[in-house]
Amino acid sequence: MSKDNETEHAPGMAWVMGMVGWLVPGFGHLLQGRWGRALLLGGAVWACFLAGLWMGGHLFVVTGTEQGWAALMQVPPMIANLGSGVLYGICWFFGVGFADDPAHAARATYEYGNTFLLVAGLLNYLVMLDAFDVSAGRKS
Amino acid sequence: MRHFLVMTAFAALAAIVFGTVAKDTNRDRLVYGAKVFAEFMVIALVLSWILYFIPF
Repeated sequence: MSKDNETEHAPGMAWVMGMVGWLVPGFGHLLQGRWGRALLLGGAVWACFLAGLWMGGHLFVVTGTEQGWAALMQVPPMIANLGSGVLYGICWFFGVGFADDPAHAARATYEYGNTFLLVAGLLNYLVMLDAFDVSAGRKS
Repeated sequence: MRHFLVMTAFAALAAIVFGTVAKDTNRDRLVYGAKVFAEFMVIALVLSWILYFIPF
Protein backbone atom coordinates (compact mmCIF):
# COMPACT_ATOMS: atom_id res chain seq x y z
CA MET A 1 0.00 0.00 0.00
CA SER A 2 1.39 3.41 -0.90
CA LYS A 3 1.81 6.10 1.72
CA ASP A 4 -0.78 8.28 -0.03
CA ASN A 5 -3.52 5.80 0.81
CA GLU A 6 -2.71 5.67 4.50
CA THR A 7 -5.10 7.53 6.77
CA GLU A 8 -4.32 8.70 10.25
CA HIS A 9 -6.99 7.97 12.82
CA ALA A 10 -7.31 10.29 15.79
CA PRO A 11 -8.12 8.68 19.14
CA GLY A 12 -11.64 9.10 20.48
CA MET A 13 -10.38 11.23 23.35
CA ALA A 14 -9.14 13.83 20.85
CA TRP A 15 -12.71 14.28 19.59
CA VAL A 16 -13.93 14.65 23.16
CA MET A 17 -11.25 17.26 23.91
CA GLY A 18 -12.11 19.14 20.74
CA MET A 19 -15.79 19.09 21.65
CA VAL A 20 -15.14 20.23 25.23
CA GLY A 21 -12.79 22.92 23.91
CA TRP A 22 -15.54 24.22 21.69
CA LEU A 23 -18.21 24.09 24.40
CA VAL A 24 -16.17 25.91 27.07
CA PRO A 25 -13.31 27.98 25.61
CA GLY A 26 -10.01 26.85 27.10
CA PHE A 27 -11.46 23.82 28.88
CA GLY A 28 -10.16 21.36 26.28
CA HIS A 29 -6.60 22.35 27.16
CA LEU A 30 -7.34 22.54 30.87
CA LEU A 31 -8.49 18.91 30.95
CA GLN A 32 -5.21 17.91 29.31
CA GLY A 33 -3.21 19.72 31.98
CA ARG A 34 -2.08 22.46 29.60
CA TRP A 35 -2.65 25.25 32.10
CA GLY A 36 -0.65 27.93 30.34
CA ARG A 37 -2.21 27.25 26.98
CA ALA A 38 -5.68 27.08 28.53
CA LEU A 39 -5.17 30.40 30.28
CA LEU A 40 -3.84 32.15 27.19
CA LEU A 41 -6.27 30.74 24.63
CA GLY A 42 -9.34 30.47 26.82
CA GLY A 43 -8.63 33.85 28.39
CA ALA A 44 -8.33 35.52 25.00
CA VAL A 45 -11.62 34.04 23.76
CA TRP A 46 -13.50 34.84 26.97
CA ALA A 47 -12.09 38.38 27.03
CA CYS A 48 -13.01 38.90 23.39
CA PHE A 49 -16.57 37.65 23.95
CA LEU A 50 -17.18 39.59 27.16
CA ALA A 51 -15.71 42.76 25.66
CA GLY A 52 -18.05 42.32 22.69
CA LEU A 53 -21.06 42.04 24.96
CA TRP A 54 -19.90 44.98 27.06
CA MET A 55 -19.62 47.13 23.93
CA GLY A 56 -23.20 46.29 23.01
CA GLY A 57 -22.51 43.82 20.22
CA HIS A 58 -25.24 41.76 18.61
CA LEU A 59 -25.39 37.96 18.54
CA PHE A 60 -26.90 36.54 15.37
CA VAL A 61 -29.59 33.90 15.20
CA VAL A 62 -31.86 32.64 12.43
CA THR A 63 -35.29 33.36 13.83
CA GLY A 64 -37.41 32.48 10.83
CA THR A 65 -38.95 35.95 10.68
CA GLU A 66 -36.66 36.95 7.80
CA GLN A 67 -37.32 35.69 4.30
CA GLY A 68 -35.05 34.75 1.39
CA TRP A 69 -31.66 36.44 1.26
CA ALA A 70 -32.22 38.25 4.56
CA ALA A 71 -32.53 34.89 6.30
CA LEU A 72 -29.52 33.46 4.47
CA MET A 73 -27.39 36.45 5.42
CA GLN A 74 -27.92 35.60 9.09
CA VAL A 75 -26.35 32.16 8.71
CA PRO A 76 -22.59 32.96 8.32
CA PRO A 77 -22.42 35.32 11.33
CA MET A 78 -24.51 32.89 13.34
CA ILE A 79 -21.98 30.13 12.58
CA ALA A 80 -19.20 32.47 13.73
CA ASN A 81 -21.11 33.30 16.93
CA LEU A 82 -21.82 29.63 17.59
CA GLY A 83 -18.08 29.10 17.84
CA SER A 84 -18.25 30.58 21.33
CA GLY A 85 -19.98 27.41 22.49
CA VAL A 86 -21.71 27.60 25.84
CA LEU A 87 -21.19 31.38 26.04
CA TYR A 88 -23.55 31.76 23.09
CA GLY A 89 -25.97 29.29 24.71
CA ILE A 90 -26.02 31.17 28.01
CA CYS A 91 -26.64 34.46 26.23
CA TRP A 92 -29.43 32.86 24.21
CA PHE A 93 -31.01 31.41 27.38
CA PHE A 94 -30.97 34.75 29.19
CA GLY A 95 -31.74 36.80 26.09
CA VAL A 96 -28.53 38.83 26.38
CA GLY A 97 -27.02 40.28 23.22
CA PHE A 98 -29.84 39.30 20.87
CA ALA A 99 -31.66 42.64 20.95
CA ASP A 100 -32.02 44.05 17.45
CA ASP A 101 -33.53 47.48 17.90
CA PRO A 102 -32.42 50.90 16.55
CA ALA A 103 -31.56 52.24 20.01
CA HIS A 104 -29.23 49.31 20.59
CA ALA A 105 -27.62 49.70 17.19
CA ALA A 106 -27.11 53.42 17.76
CA ARG A 107 -24.45 52.82 20.39
CA ALA A 108 -21.06 54.10 19.26
CA THR A 109 -19.40 50.78 20.05
CA TYR A 110 -22.10 48.58 18.48
CA GLU A 111 -20.03 47.58 15.43
CA TYR A 112 -16.94 47.01 17.55
CA GLY A 113 -19.00 44.76 19.79
CA ASN A 114 -20.29 42.81 16.79
CA THR A 115 -16.76 42.27 15.54
CA PHE A 116 -15.48 41.16 18.93
CA LEU A 117 -18.32 38.66 19.29
CA LEU A 118 -17.83 37.25 15.80
CA VAL A 119 -14.07 36.98 16.20
CA ALA A 120 -14.39 35.37 19.65
CA GLY A 121 -16.33 32.52 18.05
CA LEU A 122 -13.91 32.19 15.14
CA LEU A 123 -10.89 32.20 17.44
CA ASN A 124 -12.51 29.50 19.54
CA TYR A 125 -12.79 27.28 16.46
CA LEU A 126 -8.98 27.57 16.22
CA VAL A 127 -8.63 26.83 19.93
CA MET A 128 -10.91 23.80 19.53
CA LEU A 129 -8.75 22.45 16.68
CA ASP A 130 -5.64 23.05 18.78
CA ALA A 131 -7.11 21.06 21.69
CA PHE A 132 -7.90 18.27 19.23
CA ASP A 133 -4.37 18.28 17.79
CA VAL A 134 -2.70 18.33 21.21
CA SER A 135 -4.82 15.41 22.39
CA ALA A 136 -4.15 13.46 19.17
CA GLY A 137 -0.41 13.95 19.66
CA ARG A 138 -0.02 16.03 16.53
CA LYS A 139 1.28 18.98 18.56
CA SER A 140 3.65 19.14 21.47
CA MET B 1 -8.43 57.50 21.51
CA ARG B 2 -11.07 54.98 22.47
CA HIS B 3 -11.14 53.63 18.90
CA PHE B 4 -7.40 53.10 19.04
CA LEU B 5 -7.62 51.29 22.39
CA VAL B 6 -10.35 48.98 21.11
CA MET B 7 -8.31 48.25 17.99
CA THR B 8 -5.25 47.53 20.14
CA ALA B 9 -7.21 45.17 22.38
CA PHE B 10 -8.58 43.37 19.34
CA ALA B 11 -5.13 43.00 17.78
CA ALA B 12 -3.65 41.76 21.08
CA LEU B 13 -6.33 39.11 21.65
CA ALA B 14 -6.13 37.81 18.08
CA ALA B 15 -2.32 37.81 18.21
CA ILE B 16 -2.32 35.79 21.44
CA VAL B 17 -4.44 33.06 19.86
CA PHE B 18 -2.62 33.03 16.51
CA GLY B 19 0.78 33.02 18.18
CA THR B 20 -0.12 30.22 20.59
CA VAL B 21 -1.72 27.81 18.13
CA ALA B 22 0.56 28.40 15.16
CA LYS B 23 4.06 27.68 16.47
CA ASP B 24 5.80 25.02 18.51
CA THR B 25 8.39 26.78 20.67
CA ASN B 26 7.80 29.65 23.07
CA ARG B 27 10.25 31.86 21.23
CA ASP B 28 8.55 31.25 17.88
CA ARG B 29 5.16 31.88 19.47
CA LEU B 30 6.31 35.19 20.89
CA VAL B 31 7.86 36.33 17.61
CA TYR B 32 4.86 35.26 15.53
CA GLY B 33 2.39 36.79 17.99
CA ALA B 34 4.30 40.09 17.94
CA LYS B 35 4.38 39.98 14.16
CA VAL B 36 0.62 39.38 13.90
CA PHE B 37 -0.04 42.19 16.39
CA ALA B 38 2.17 44.60 14.45
CA GLU B 39 0.52 43.63 11.16
CA PHE B 40 -2.96 44.25 12.56
CA MET B 41 -1.94 47.65 13.89
CA VAL B 42 0.01 48.85 10.87
CA ILE B 43 -2.57 47.71 8.31
CA ALA B 44 -5.41 49.24 10.32
CA LEU B 45 -3.59 52.57 10.62
CA VAL B 46 -2.72 52.63 6.91
CA LEU B 47 -6.29 51.81 5.92
CA SER B 48 -7.61 54.46 8.32
CA TRP B 49 -5.50 57.16 6.71
CA ILE B 50 -6.52 56.05 3.21
CA LEU B 51 -10.19 56.13 4.16
CA TYR B 52 -9.71 59.53 5.84
CA PHE B 53 -8.84 61.11 2.50
CA ILE B 54 -11.68 59.53 0.56
CA PRO B 55 -14.42 62.19 0.44
CA PHE B 56 -17.44 59.88 0.19
